Amino acid sequence: MGFDLKFNWSGSVSEVTLGATNAEGGTRRISYRIGGGKTLPFLETIPGSPAPLIAFEICDNPQYWSPVVLAFCGDRVNDCGEWAKAADSVYGADMVRLYLTSTRQRNFSDVVSIGKTVETVLSGTSLPLIIEGSNEPGIDSEVFLKCGEAGQGERLLLGTAEAGRYRSIAAAALAYNHSVIAQSPIDVNLAKQLNILLKEIGVSRDHIIIDPYTGSLGYGFEYSYSAMERIRFSALKGDADLAMPVICSAIDTLTAKEVREAAPAIQDDIAVQWEFTTGLAAAAAGSEIICVRHPRTIPLLRKAFASLKAGKISGMGE
Amino acid sequence: MTDVELAIKNGQLHLKTEIMTIQGTFSYEDTAYHLPISYALTGLPVHDHDTLLDVFSRTKENPLVASEIILAKKTAQEGKEGPPYTGFIGDTIIRKLGYSLVDGSILGLALIIGNSRSADTAAAICRELQEKYMLTFLAGPVVSSLSSAGVKLGLDYRLIPLGSSTLHGVHFVDIIARVAMMFGGVTPGDMHRLLAYAAERAKAVVIVFPGLSDEEITLVDGMRVLGFPILTLEDYSGGTWIQATPEDIVRTGMESKGIRVTVTAIPIPMGCSPAFEGKSIRKEEMYVEFGGGRSPAFELLRMKNPGEIKDGQVTVLGPEIDSMAEGSANPLAIIIDVAGKTMKKDYEPVLERRIHNFVNYGEGSWHVAQRDLIWVRLSKEVVAKGVKIEHIGKLLASKFRMDFPQLLDAVSVTLITDKEKVLAAKKEAEQVYDERDARIKGMRDSEVNTYYSCTLCQTFAPNHVCVITPERPALCGAISWLDGKIAYEMSPSGANQPIEKGTVLNAQNGEFEGVNRFVKKASHGEVDRCSLYSVMEYPMTCCGCFECIALMLPEVNGIMVVNREFKGLTPSGMSFSTLAGTIGGGAQTPGFAGISKGYILSDRFLQGEGGIERLVWMPAQLKEELKPRLVKILAERGKPGLFDKIADETTAATIEDLMVYLEQVQHPALTMKPLV
Repeated sequence: MGFDLKFNWSGSVSEVTLGATNAEGGTRRISYRIGGGKTLPFLETIPGSPAPLIAFEICDNPQYWSPVVLAFCGDRVNDCGEWAKAADSVYGADMVRLYLTSTRQRNFSDVVSIGKTVETVLSGTSLPLIIEGSNEPGIDSEVFLKCGEAGQGERLLLGTAEAGRYRSIAAAALAYNHSVIAQSPIDVNLAKQLNILLKEIGVSRDHIIIDPYTGSLGYGFEYSYSAMERIRFSALKGDADLAMPVICSAIDTLTAKEVREAAPAIQDDIAVQWEFTTGLAAAAAGSEIICVRHPRTIPLLRKAFASLKAGKISGMGE
Repeated sequence: MTDVELAIKNGQLHLKTEIMTIQGTFSYEDTAYHLPISYALTGLPVHDHDTLLDVFSRTKENPLVASEIILAKKTAQEGKEGPPYTGFIGDTIIRKLGYSLVDGSILGLALIIGNSRSADTAAAICRELQEKYMLTFLAGPVVSSLSSAGVKLGLDYRLIPLGSSTLHGVHFVDIIARVAMMFGGVTPGDMHRLLAYAAERAKAVVIVFPGLSDEEITLVDGMRVLGFPILTLEDYSGGTWIQATPEDIVRTGMESKGIRVTVTAIPIPMGCSPAFEGKSIRKEEMYVEFGGGRSPAFELLRMKNPGEIKDGQVTVLGPEIDSMAEGSANPLAIIIDVAGKTMKKDYEPVLERRIHNFVNYGEGSWHVAQRDLIWVRLSKEVVAKGVKIEHIGKLLASKFRMDFPQLLDAVSVTLITDKEKVLAAKKEAEQVYDERDARIKGMRDSEVNTYYSCTLCQTFAPNHVCVITPERPALCGAISWLDGKIAYEMSPSGANQPIEKGTVLNAQNGEFEGVNRFVKKASHGEVDRCSLYSVMEYPMTCCGCFECIALMLPEVNGIMVVNREFKGLTPSGMSFSTLAGTIGGGAQTPGFAGISKGYILSDRFLQGEGGIERLVWMPAQLKEELKPRLVKILAERGKPGLFDKIADETTAATIEDLMVYLEQVQHPALTMKPLV
């Protein structure tokens, strides 16, 4: 095999710390330092370079969740503490991502409950957390303040900042030392612009994770793949404003027509395949965190990452 | 009148004498920042006589530091004041305050200090500050006079009473010092960074009432170093404090610190969102219409001086909707007056074009065309909901402020529905249109040193870079040089960036050293050279949005242009869509260029290949569209017969036909220098 893997990159992906252990002022049993990549994904020659993290997504109001996942997970979906616990001890995720879907109800105003939910999930699992705040600009300010406060010291990853809506989340990150997910609609230049906006407001580079938006396999994933790839190229070519780790959440996979309309007997399999294939491709494009909703996707991704890393080692010698 | 300069001389001395006598230890609770001002400035914790003297001399006897120390000692000795006073505010609450500032739910901070001559004046100023989303701190006798006037105090009311004496105003500064350290990345001891943060980021103003001692005046004046404007109501003279009246003191303070109230909701009884932009209102759905050839109508956006207009004011001159007959066509003038520190006359037409988008954002309002060709409709549905002409004005006033917060400080809208008045105002508008046309027409590529890039299309054409010059609009036809310039000024990290053109490498082809450098970088190293006026050598890359494609036809030594609307085959043997597929995606393809329709009329069109004489073929429909302007331009350039020599699909459908036709009309391209 005559591939030349020496690209002479001049830059590297910046490192972001997620979660804080006791020693670091938090209560997590582990913290992750992600990013730091100096070449393309799965080509790192550094032994022990980390595989992408797998985050399991849960929510506090399951009415907005995929029925396939709800059926598989059973009763625990009604108690996000239990659900988070299962994500950790049963499903084997690296992180838990909590969507505060309760805020999507019309005229939602019970901000106090947000703080309690975050605390419940923090005590349900000792893995680092990603928290997705409100979906409604009108309540952003209160919701993110609550999230930031409830997770003080835990180095949460807060989502999701967008070009028109990033101030509250940036404020929460600054005030309580959390990191931020910066999402742009599959566009490298907009991703860069948002990172610059966040930087201008005071969020430092090592507190930003890029979400280039992940289209589902068969529904625009190739655009996302290309955006992720180009973000990684820019980072390696030395563009510091794009040199952040990437998170990918293919939330549209479970609502894809093929999954929705699959025969009941194989619906779980189709859902998992769809999620797995999208997640694996995103990892190949350079995503450092892959989010999934179906528990069965986790072991598949883990196995695939391990074999990719192993394959690399034998391939290099040839 | 108190003389500020004189007071400061005395005050400085008193402060120094007082802190020299301070003994014992003192500190604040609930903070990790010791005495925050001293700590932020020097990085040293002050807690006793020795440390205070050290810090005082290191800060060159700064009055803020002196006052902070005196108050800390006093608080340690006498204990905290009881309610309603907050005294020193702990870090946890500061963190929340800082959150609201970054988050934008508080626009800025104000300190009101001293003893107001009238409680009502103080109350009115506080009310205005509350309405403008400012968080106001109070120190001194003004607190009790506000309470006695029935003003509610506390964090919930955004009025925070720091303490009973004016000296407590120093807490205002220790709050800002901590916000700078918590949120602004200011390291304790980095005085330079702290001052820069306070001046640029901390949106703070100080309002001073009478009754201040010399030391207190020194303290307040010391805040100027942080860049806070100090405002008074003609109670103090000398120094650089700003005099204002009770009516305009808040506005003056906020303006001098650049604090702007942003509009978030539009108070009209219909939805307003880009989601409605694409809808149309058909005749059956329409309640009334304006313009469209059925009645006189026009739109005009003018720049005014800041004092001349009242922000948010909407005036309707003439009948309102309820006195218009259903289904009727009525006269309409939309006149928008704008003002802003960074607004320029050049921006008028660009902003004016936004009227089109904004009116279409309305759920039941529809708009097409521009200037005195506009055509506007309101739907029956929203008129039934109570939408009036006035609401279109409110929509426009709000949207302009929302979308151009950096550019516009004030927007007012006048809508005229009275026929005589519309016709009279239209005369003025026509004059403005003519002046604008003359100005744009006069702009030459050679007269400016900066061009603008557009990389909006890198979404799907990763290495494409448009270079926009006064004489060559973006290939999509949607962005002119002025648009690019304004887009950059409004969004400096956006998709339109300035390009210094640098030295000329090839004047005829329009190749510039600076443009090449920019294109190389913006195309991620893929494109090394770019000639702005040539189709043959290093043409600009093409994204896919081009209005037209120009391509060479070697058989006839000329260049043809085909527009997107043309569905048939061209003499090149290919259709527009086949050609587009061949050259798009961000590639540079010699012999082919994506261009806008407007560029065909430019003096720079095909300059590299010898000019418009190279143009041998265009679809009849495009020819017809350009005819009035092109014929005029060709006559001016002394080529009156050229227009008719350009073939189209009716005179030459194939390359063979074209050769015959061009021979027949003796097209100049045939005898020009060979293209290849």
